This record gives sequence, C-alpha cells and structure tokens, in this order.
Amino acid sequence: MTELSPSEIEYVRYGGEHHLPLIMGLVDRELSEPYSIFTYRYFVYLWPNLTFLAFHGEKCVGTVVCKMGHHRNISRGYIGMLVVIEPYRGRGIATELVTRSIRVMMESGCQEVTLEAEVTNKGALALYGRLGFIRAKRLFRYYLNGVDAFRLKLLFPKCNPMLLATSNKNGGDDQPVNRL
Amino acid sequence: MANHQGGGGGGAGGLIGHASLPPPIPAGDQTVWADAGPLIVASCSELQDGELIHAENFSLFAAMSALEIMDPKMDSGIENSGYHSIEEAIENNIAPVPLSLDSTLDVQCILDVIDHLFSCEATWHKGHSLAQTVFSCIYLLRIERTSPHSLLHSYCRIMRAICNALVSVVSDARTNEEEDLFAMAYALPLKGEGDEKCLSILNSVEETISRQLRACRAQSSRKKSLEDIEPLQRNPDLEEGYCRALLCRLRFRKHYFHVFMCMRKPHGKGLELARKHVALCLSELSYMSKSLEFLRSLPYGSFQDDIESSTTASGCKPIGFDASLNSTLSAPGPPRATHILSWKKAVGYFQKLLHDLDFVCSFNMEPVLEDVLHYVVQFQKLQPDLVARTHLQILLVQDGKLCGKDSFHDVISRALALPELTADKEFQKNEFIVQLGQLIVSLLKILCTNIAWQRRKLGKILQDWGVLSLQLEMAFKREFGDRLNVMVDENMCMKVSRRLLIWTDEHTYWIASRFLTLGFELELYSPNEYCMVYWYMYVVLMRLMEKMQMRIAINSETCKRKREKKKDHAKDPARDGSLSSSSLLIHCYICLCEGLAMMLAALHNESKAFQMRSPFNGEEERFSQHFDLLQKAHVPDHVSYYLFKESTVHARISGVVKHNYFREAQRITSSLKGSFAGDPNRMLELQQLEQVAEHNRIALNVINQVGADDPSLRVSFEFTHHPHFAMAVVKRS
Repeated sequence: MTELSPSEIEYVRYGGEHHLPLIMGLVDRELSEPYSIFTYRYFVYLWPNLTFLAFHGEKCVGTVVCKMGHHRNISRGYIGMLVVIEPYRGRGIATELVTRSIRVMMESGCQEVTLEAEVTNKGALALYGRLGFIRAKRLFRYYLNGVDAFRLKLLFPKCNPMLLATSNKNGGDDQPVNRL
Repeated sequence: MANHQGGGGGGAGGLIGHASLPPPIPAGDQTVWADAGPLIVASCSELQDGELIHAENFSLFAAMSALEIMDPKMDSGIENSGYHSIEEAIENNIAPVPLSLDSTLDVQCILDVIDHLFSCEATWHKGHSLAQTVFSCIYLLRIERTSPHSLLHSYCRIMRAICNALVSVVSDARTNEEEDLFAMAYALPLKGEGDEKCLSILNSVEETISRQLRACRAQSSRKKSLEDIEPLQRNPDLEEGYCRALLCRLRFRKHYFHVFMCMRKPHGKGLELARKHVALCLSELSYMSKSLEFLRSLPYGSFQDDIESSTTASGCKPIGFDASLNSTLSAPGPPRATHILSWKKAVGYFQKLLHDLDFVCSFNMEPVLEDVLHYVVQFQKLQPDLVARTHLQILLVQDGKLCGKDSFHDVISRALALPELTADKEFQKNEFIVQLGQLIVSLLKILCTNIAWQRRKLGKILQDWGVLSLQLEMAFKREFGDRLNVMVDENMCMKVSRRLLIWTDEHTYWIASRFLTLGFELELYSPNEYCMVYWYMYVVLMRLMEKMQMRIAINSETCKRKREKKKDHAKDPARDGSLSSSSLLIHCYICLCEGLAMMLAALHNESKAFQMRSPFNGEEERFSQHFDLLQKAHVPDHVSYYLFKESTVHARISGVVKHNYFREAQRITSSLKGSFAGDPNRMLELQQLEQVAEHNRIALNVINQVGADDPSLRVSFEFTHHPHFAMAVVKRS
C-alpha cells in the first residue's frame, strides 16, 4: 500500500460530463450490481451536488453517488454507490466522500439518509455504523447474487442546536478519520 | 411505410437472415408502424454527450430500467448455448432418447440426469427460479419425447407432479412474499394429463429393476433365477451396482411424493404416515450417498470441472440440460446468477428439509393456542426453508380455522379459560372477538414467514394489537370502571371483558418481545446498541410477565371457586403449571436483560472504549429509530429515551455487581429444571441461559476488580451460548 497523507487526496464535487466515465469505470469494475449509463445520468443530472470524486493527483480513486427526495412526506437522502479502489482502501477516503455528501443532504433539509449494503460487507457496515447509521431492516436475498442486505438509516436530530453545532464542527475540520 | 401488415421489420431482416426471423408484430387498431430511422439519425448528429430524448412517459427515472443489450450483467440472453429454441437444441441431439444406444452408457446417463435434477431441485428450493433449475432439463420441457424410455419417462412425470404440487401449495399459502421466485412458473409445462398416475408408472419401473437386481444376485450366487429377466445393461459386473443406484433414487422420489400427499390431507390426518415416508426418504438418501463411490469409479463420459462440487454423484456432466433456453421465460430484468448446488450439498439440503418436515408432522393436532405459538417459535429455531414453513402454515390455518377444526372464536374462548362460551352466538359475533380472531390468523401466518420478513410484519401489526388493547381497555372502563384487578362479584360480561383485555395485552407484549429478540438473530444491532435493546426488552418483558401473572391469578381464582362449588376441575392443573413455568422463564429473561443493560450502561459510563461519537447524530436518534414501531403502537406506553437515560446514567459496575442479576437468573434456571424435565428443547435453553448467567457474573467480577476504566481491559460481547443473550468476554492486553 503506497504511503500517502490525507492531504494528498483531493475531493471534488461532480463537475460535468467529463467526470461521468471516471465514475462509471470505477463502479462497473468494483460493484456486482449492473447499472446502465441512464442510471448514472439520473443521479448526476438531478443531484450533481451530491456526487463527489476523490483524486490522487490525476487519478480518480474513489467516488460516491447519491440522490435525495421525498418518501412518505419525509425528506430523505439515498446513497446509491460508493467505491474506493483497492490500493487506496483503509485510509478513510470512503468515510470522507460519504461525510461530504451527507453534510450536503443535511444542509439541504433532509431528515434522514438511507442505503442498502450486503450483510457480508463488513467494511461498509463499520463505516456507516461509525457515522451513526443503524441497521433498520434485513432484506432477504436482496442482491442478484442471492446475498441478504441491510437497509441502513441515519436519522438527523430534529432540532437540537447543541448536536447540530457539534456535528458541523466535526464535519468541517480536516480530522484524521478511522481506518476501515 | 405506415400500416404495413407483416412488413414492419424494416431493414433488420437483412442482418440476421430470413430463416430465423420471428414473425412480425401486426399493427393494431390504435397503432401504426412508423419509420423512426430519420429521427434517430437526426438526433445522433445533434445530441451532445449526456443529452437524452425524453417525453412525458420517458424520463431519466424511467430510463434507469433500460437494459444494455449484450452486457452480460444485464442481458440474460447473451450467455447462451447458441440454440434459439428448444426444438433447435433437440435437432442438434442435446437431449437424445434413448440417452445412448449402449445400454450401460444409457443407464449411466440417466443416473446423471436424475442426480442433476436433484441438485437443480435443491437449488430451486434455495431461492432460484424453476426455469433456470429443474426446467433447464429438456426432457422435462418436452416430456412426450421420453415416452419410449419408461425409466426416464416415469422419473420426469413424477418430478413434474411434485414441482406442480409444491408450486400450488406455496402459491396458495402465500408464505413466500420475498421468495416469490419459487412459484414463478410462467409458460413452464408444469401440468400434464395423467400426472396423477405418475406413481403407478414409477412403481412398475421400480418393480422391473427390483426383479433385475434379484436376477443378477441369483446369478452371482450361482442360483438359478426363477424368471428369465433381461438385464438392465450389458456389463454383468456392474449390474448390481447400477440396479441399487437406480432403486434408491426411485424409492426416494416415491416416498418424497408420498410425504407431500400425506401432509396435505385435511386436519392432519396423514401426518403419522408422512413421518414414516420421511424416515424412508432419509434411508434412501443414505443409500444414494453410498452409491457415490461405485458411480465415481466408472470411467466414462466427461467430468465436471471441479469434481467435489459436481452436480452428479458420478462427477460427470449430465446431458439434456440447457438453462439458457428458458431465458425468454425468465423474469424480465437482469439475470440472477444461478449456481447449481453440488450433489453433496443437495443431499444435505434434502436431509435438513426432511428433518424439518418431520418436526412439522410431529405437531399435536389438538392444540392450545399458547402451545401453537411456542411450537412455531421452536420450529423457526431450526431455520427452516420455504417448503417446510409453508407446510406448517397450511397445517395451522386451514379454511379459516385452527388446524382446520376450531374456529378462532372457540380458540379464544378456550384461551380465556371460558369454554362455556364456545356455543355462545353473542360471543362469536362480538366485534372484538371477530377482530381478535383475524389478528390471531394473521399472526400465525406471519410467524411462518422467513424471519427477516417476519420481523417487519410483527413490527407493523403491533399497531393493530395496540389499538385493539386500547379499545378493550376503554370499553372495560366505560362499562365497569377501574376494577381491572377486582374479581369478586363479576358477572359473565365483566369476566369476559377482563380476561379478553388481559389476554390481548399479554400477547401484544409477546409480539413486541419477539420483534426485539429477532433483531439479534438478524444481526440488526451493533454492540453500542445492546444496552438500549436490553433495556427495552426488560421493559416489555416486565409488562408481559405482569399480564401472565394476572392470567395465572384469574385461573387459580376460578379453580378455587369451582372447588368450593364442588364442581369438576374444568381447569387443567398441568396447563396452569405450564403457565407458571413460562412466567418464571420470562422472569429469568428479565434478570438477564436487566443485568446486561446495566452492565453495558456501566461500561459506557465508566470506560471510554464504550462511548460512541457520531458526527451526524446521537444515541437518541438511534434509540428513536430502533424502537419507532413500538413507540408508535404505545407498547408499552410512557417509554422514552429520557426514561432510558434516567435508568442508566448512574449505572456503575460496583452497583451492578451488588444487584446480583445474574445470580438471580441462575437461581431461576435451577428451579425450572424440574418443570421442564420432559422437554429437551426447554432443557437445552435452560443450560444456555445458565452458561450466559455464569459467564457474565464472572466477567462482571473481573471488571469490578480491575476497574472498568483500566486501559488494558478489553470487553466484547458474543452470542456463544444463547442467540439473544450476549456473553461478556474480558481480555487484558
């Protein structure tokens, strides 16, 4: 694993069509579920402010793709895809990508954030657990490969200024993040 | 080119060749064919990257359902054998009849077909579609072709009949919510004329092979055979082995068929016979396993890539199968990876299925509702699959009655210990009784579903039970005031109302406790949430025990009065004893929950290792989410995060040690050994609870001695002994 300091990774919001092949390349290689180009366009066109990319120099090493909307009168964010390429795992890049996106959702008035993750994906479950997600449901044989999924959910505090102030402070600082 | 009949294919025919073009789709009354070529060409030259032609009913969201043709992740047709139809595959000799002109090879190939079908069947049960598994067999897809070959034909017929029977049972029971792939049989030839006679056809084939086996044994022991029998195949040295291998497979299939036919008899009339067939199935399965050595030793055919995961006993590839031929029949959408289970794993699957079915068949058909609930919970501990769960469900609820015999208002009157109400029309028509009956039916069905689905549904029905409880309580108070605990001078109306309320409350808390404990089995809680979960369980179980004890008090009061009136004991002392033991067991659970909640709270209060800081929310949000459904249903009422914090904020390890929760739990498990002596499942649980209590008591003492804030201390919680009660593991680094 190459040694690198957190400051060597640059985090960039989705900036346009030129980012799309980078995102698609990462996700197609690393994730088992199939997505057509229309799926990516749906996310990045309607919610460009919720997609982030991580670069190490010129190389795109990670991405998170999200959306938000209303579900039964609740404003809800949804994390669609999260990928960091193998040589760069274990350094908190995924945590940082997700944290940025969740912060935007929170600032946009979302009440909660949700996603699905394979029950066997210990890394993802630990990452989201540390951010305050709970395992709300287990979905039997959810994935095409027959594996169960957890529906993970993060509930933002209703109106607690102390908590909001604390979370803003933590989210804003460039603190070292836990290893995956 | 509008309004062409049969000419609408445009220029596509030139690319593929006319011979294999499907017939063109005719234009209808409301539709015309129009050439979209010019529009597409113009769009291609004008659209920039990232732009999309859209319309009212074709948006970005709708576009997500698009499949990319020839992408193997999405296009289920791309990975295929190259045959466009079953007929084309047959023309290319993929499924010959006979399988070989050489009689020995023919027998070997049939054995491979039987074995591969067996593996496909187990794969189907485990959650894949029929089309990609059992009906990937061309012989089954075109059964009429197999008629000249009696062995193949009879086996295919019985396979088809069994698949049809199981699809019907599962579809009717609707146990299979998220497992709806099981019953998907669109366009598959599941029903055949005369399939009800499949057993007699199989029997005659079995008889023939039995005679062949007797003949070859007579020959080998140089005895003169009484009959002049044509051998199964040409090699006399292999005749006995092949006959045995075939016979155990045919017999397994026959007894397996009988199991389901017996289990479907109404009112459980066939259960005893079903158990006998289950035992015979298991015996034939063991003969099948023994045949593996013989079949693997024979050199012929081409081996599967990895012999240990082969789908046949011989290890050879079966002929006559092609899963891709059904891809047009499969569910629309991306293909699900279908990895056929190995033959050995399939044997393991059927062994488990048969044991689970045996459990179902041992069900006592004169049940008390409490016993039914306990039975279903025990059954679910076996982690049964869909087929077994469906069969328990259809046994429990038939024609809207419990076990097909007792209407639910009778079940309720017995549960309330008021059997005299059984024929009472007023009671039967009472809106609360009708509602409660429906809730009980729904509960029984939910308890037979897979536990992931089950927990969600239990959470949802809590509202319904909570509402009914509230309505009963309001009705009681309106009628009789605040006299819930007063049992003197009560008329029948008051008696019924009181018991109904207590019983409904008790079972609402029972559902709540199952909802919470299933969370452990489904791994829904992370360690930093165990404290709040055990606390909530403690609160719910306290209410449950309270209601159970009220019921015990009512029962003993009734007994006493009947003795005073010198009436016969209508009460069953054994049942009362069982209720007391159950209540004591709940008390044991309460001690463990309280001990664990307080231990975890103390660790959180005293040790940094147990504190969790999330950047986006706090413990209150996680509490609110986990217990949202319970809180919405007010089960129980007046429970909040603040109450939880108040109860736990002052917890200290030294205080938890002093309270001796785990010692109390151990005392109860010892006292229950006598009551549960005849029940191995209960005895096993008592052992597990004892282990948990003992380990936790010791761990607590160690932590107390070392100090919870000692940086060398590592405490983790594992479910080594009991699936719901964690055991503290203490290490020092």
